[in-house]
Amino acid sequence: MSFIARAIKVPPNSATLEEARSRTFDFFRKACRSIPNVIEIYNLYDVVTPSQLRSSIASQIRKNSHINNPKVIDMLLFKGMEELGNIVEHAKQRHHIIGQYVVGHGGLVQEVDTKDQGNSEFLKQFYTSNYF
Amino acid sequence: MGFFVLRALQRSRTPLSRLLSPQNPTFQSRWITSTTDLHKPEASAAAASEAPRPEIPPPRTPVGGARVHISSPEDAIEVFVDGYPVKIPKGMTVLQACEVAGVDIPRFCYHSRLSIAGNCRMCLVEVEKSPKPVASCAMPALPGMKIKTNTPVAKKAREGVMEFLLMNHPLDCPICDQGGECDLQDQSMAFGSDRGRFTEMKRSVVDKNLGPLVKTVMTRCIQCTRCVRFATEVAGVQDLGMLGRGSGEEIGTYVEKLMTSELSGNVIDICPVGALTSKPFAFKARNWEMKGTETIDVTDAVGSNIRVDSRGPEVMRVVPRLNEDINEEWISDKTRFFYDGLKRQRLNDPMIRGPDGRFKSVSWRDALAVVAEVMHQVKPEEIVGIAGQLSDAESMIALKDFLNKMGSNNVLCEGNGIHPHADLRSNFLLNTNIGGLERADVFLLVGSQPRIEAPMVNARIRKTVRATHAKVAYIGPPTDLNYDHQHLGEGPQTLLEIAEGRHPFCSTLLSAKNPAIIIGAGIFERNDRDAIFAAVETIAKHSKAIRPDWNGFNVLLLNAAQAAALDLGLIPESKNCIGSAKFLYLMGADDVNLEGVSNDAFVLYQGHHGDRSVYRANIIFPSSAFTEKEGTYENTEGCAQQTVPAVPTVGDARDDWKIVRALSEVAGSCLPYDSLAAIRARIRAVAPNLLSTDEREPATVSADVKPEFQYNMSMSGFKSAVENFYMTDSISRASKIMAQCSASLLKK
Repeated sequence: MSFIARAIKVPPNSATLEEARSRTFDFFRKACRSIPNVIEIYNLYDVVTPSQLRSSIASQIRKNSHINNPKVIDMLLFKGMEELGNIVEHAKQRHHIIGQYVVGHGGLVQEVDTKDQGNSEFLKQFYTSNYF
Repeated sequence: MGFFVLRALQRSRTPLSRLLSPQNPTFQSRWITSTTDLHKPEASAAAASEAPRPEIPPPRTPVGGARVHISSPEDAIEVFVDGYPVKIPKGMTVLQACEVAGVDIPRFCYHSRLSIAGNCRMCLVEVEKSPKPVASCAMPALPGMKIKTNTPVAKKAREGVMEFLLMNHPLDCPICDQGGECDLQDQSMAFGSDRGRFTEMKRSVVDKNLGPLVKTVMTRCIQCTRCVRFATEVAGVQDLGMLGRGSGEEIGTYVEKLMTSELSGNVIDICPVGALTSKPFAFKARNWEMKGTETIDVTDAVGSNIRVDSRGPEVMRVVPRLNEDINEEWISDKTRFFYDGLKRQRLNDPMIRGPDGRFKSVSWRDALAVVAEVMHQVKPEEIVGIAGQLSDAESMIALKDFLNKMGSNNVLCEGNGIHPHADLRSNFLLNTNIGGLERADVFLLVGSQPRIEAPMVNARIRKTVRATHAKVAYIGPPTDLNYDHQHLGEGPQTLLEIAEGRHPFCSTLLSAKNPAIIIGAGIFERNDRDAIFAAVETIAKHSKAIRPDWNGFNVLLLNAAQAAALDLGLIPESKNCIGSAKFLYLMGADDVNLEGVSNDAFVLYQGHHGDRSVYRANIIFPSSAFTEKEGTYENTEGCAQQTVPAVPTVGDARDDWKIVRALSEVAGSCLPYDSLAAIRARIRAVAPNLLSTDEREPATVSADVKPEFQYNMSMSGFKSAVENFYMTDSISRASKIMAQCSASLLKK
């Protein structure tokens, strides 16, 4: 038991916001360096370019840009490292990567319709789902 | 061993010191429970009698909310159940007295709505000064009786009965559909022995074919005869019976014959074991993995209370819910088994008919835009809306408001006829409510066949006929009513004779204390409906059927939407609106006659099933079925009830009122409500009675304020309003089980 616990030691918390920030950049660099490897193992050549994946990672990080608690940032970094580890270890499958990082949450249909501009909130929700 | 016992005692809530103290009387009995001490009841009874018993046991709440109504104080008697005194009226059985006292007696054959058989012997209790344990369901309670339900003698008696029952009952609970909701399973856990002494072979019984609805595994039967009594007493068919004697005894139809009753599914519920189970539900799901949603039924105008059991997005089965005022605890076979129609023929995408006559699915955005454009091209008075028989009140008010905003006042509900009268609620409601029919002593059915139009109302009439020997007279086409009745005639001729006092039945009607006249809603479709109603009102006046304390003038509606549609005022302005329509908004209307619609009319069908009207539709809006939406329905007696969504909607379907609301915005005349609460606020302004759910709102003004008119009556006979009981709406027409039923059970 104990030797596993020693092996996956969680690094100590960041003391300051500065330290957390630099760790975030380290994480981003690490993720970016693994992009070619990811494209290789998941065979994403004709699906996505490295720059698209980079901006996808960046947007995932920017989504949490409002957080200023070093502990929370550390926690998020830990989760990010875990996710990155899973991806690099091929613990995921191709559709996971495509669904989460290539297509994104918007789904295949992108809401780019400008016709909805004057519609009420009801009609906009009506077009998306029956449940609101 | 001692170590484990000590551990167990430390875990239990009772402190060890208190248990071990010599003053504690409970410690005298053995605390590792085994049945061996029950085999020597005398000794343990003696031990129990020595123990100081508490003087007044705490009062217990009655079982299942059992209540007693004692009419006069001299009718009350006092009995003691486990030492606790209860006051009950004379004539109650020992079992009922125990229920009032809050003691649940195990039983198999006893059912409160059926006659007493007393053959399972599971309800044995000990009564002081009686030499043997008595079967409590069959024993009348006598004054001062001291009933003991928990003594070693009673326990041993139950254990013995259980052992005998399990002697021939197969141990196939893992493959039995009743598993998990089986009375025998539960009671053998609670009252049975932990071992049996029978080593012989179990008997086996040939399974019977009772038709496409009820599956039988007759080896599991414990001969409680509940199903036999249900069939003869409630359903009114003599199909089931007991054959043979002793160990050769078995339940069956006497000859090779199916059980042809519209209530046959209820034997599934009353069967305490897995002998009679649902055939469509066989091996589909276990009862603990389903989610129950308490909702109401929309297949007829009765609004039976049901529970929809669903697993994930799928409705697995429908079972009844207790409502004494409407359906008691029964439901019709159509209600119980039409649910598989919810999985077939569903519309899941908005679709437009292309120039080649084929439907092409489009997005909601495009579909709404097309319809809005068409609506603006036709004249306002050429827009006609027809609500279907399954529409809820919310969507009907939205449809009416929307078409009114577009300038049309031609909104109707199918089944109500082309020129309905909605001014007086008493003219379209079952004014003697369904429960009130039990007080009637003479029934006159005018063009109404309650057995196929509303089986729950028919069951109520049958109950009355059985209990009080009420007389039933029937005018209409030959039909099969399952109680004694007099067939007076087939058409309005007989009605006129009664109205003019020339018919021999008049004397019966005049001598009746509470006459109930029931008019079928099929008459709404006749052109001479006013004349027929006038004749019936004359009869009602002569027989004094409408009094302050009794209103015996009834209309039995056919569809779930009818009453609410009339309350909301869905009445077309012009009589020939369908023929002249250029834009037809069908909101689930499948039974309306579309032959008169002109070829250049644009037909919008909004509904959940691809049924009859879809063949004519130009565009389809998919909407949600009654199991998927929250909607208000008013039943034939004027009681508003709400459905509760049990499963998610299919595909891209939307709730009916949301579609109307969205279309109104796209068409440029936006409805002012965005939510169910807002739309109900609108209903409050039109028909506030629809919002007081589960409460019956009686009609306040009676029919005699109507002005007198002379109408022409055609002499053509009444037609039956329902051709095929099993297929009346779009859901049941899509159902495979209902198709099997109409193939095998309908009398041709």
